[in-house]
Amino acid sequence: MSTQDGEAVVELTIPGKPEYVGVARLAILGVASRMRFSYDEVEDIRLAVGEACTTAIERANGSRGPDQEVRVRCLIHPTRLVVEVSDSAPPPATAEPDPTTETALDERGLGGVLIRILMDDVQSVDESETGRRGVRMVKYVASAAR
Amino acid sequence: MQLKVDTRSPREGVAVIVLSGEVDVYTSPRLKQEMVDLLNRGQVNLIVDLNGVEYLDSTGLGVLIGGLKRAREREGDLRLICENMRILRIFEITGLTKIFEIDRTEEDALAKLK
Repeated sequence: MSTQDGEAVVELTIPGKPEYVGVARLAILGVASRMRFSYDEVEDIRLAVGEACTTAIERANGSRGPDQEVRVRCLIHPTRLVVEVSDSAPPPATAEPDPTTETALDERGLGGVLIRILMDDVQSVDESETGRRGVRMVKYVASAAR
Repeated sequence: MQLKVDTRSPREGVAVIVLSGEVDVYTSPRLKQEMVDLLNRGQVNLIVDLNGVEYLDSTGLGVLIGGLKRAREREGDLRLICENMRILRIFEITGLTKIFEIDRTEEDALAKLK
């Protein structure tokens, strides 16, 4: 699949179960390895995408259960890789935990910290029309002109 | 790749947990259970060898933090063994090198445990 401006698109949907996060990691490893990223950058992307999938799966399991699916959508551009990880689980009934509390740091906060450190640009995705929520991450190819 | 967990006790009250494979949201509950079982059996000083770990995510980090807390509640400790630069980097960028004692070899870790 490719878009009109020359980006190639790779899309994967996994069941919202912990054992499938490894499948998404393998797929992103394949995508990023084909681009002009260094070994360390490929590993950074793999970890960031793994963290985003884990967050989505934890959210899915906290709502409608394991029937929920998680979508990993990669937009491959000569100068950058954009990865969107999203699900359509309903928003949690309770407020998000305070990231400064110890519990949040232990179990949830670190994933978000890692994603922000490892990727160049990170935004949340919240599409009210489709109900999809998640994260959009960008990694630029260092050797390419932006 | 799955997670392999091998545990042995080099001396009374001390357990060495040797991990190989991936520590993530799927596999880390096994590591957590192993640490809880060891602590409940009085092995309050834990050494976790991460040299065979190929992938470690925030879930794995959370389990290690939990293990450290539980060990210290029992007046024990948890030390890590790691020479893998990739894994060490994850501890560095998350600031966890300030929380964990990380040794290069099992001998070093054993010598530093009380």
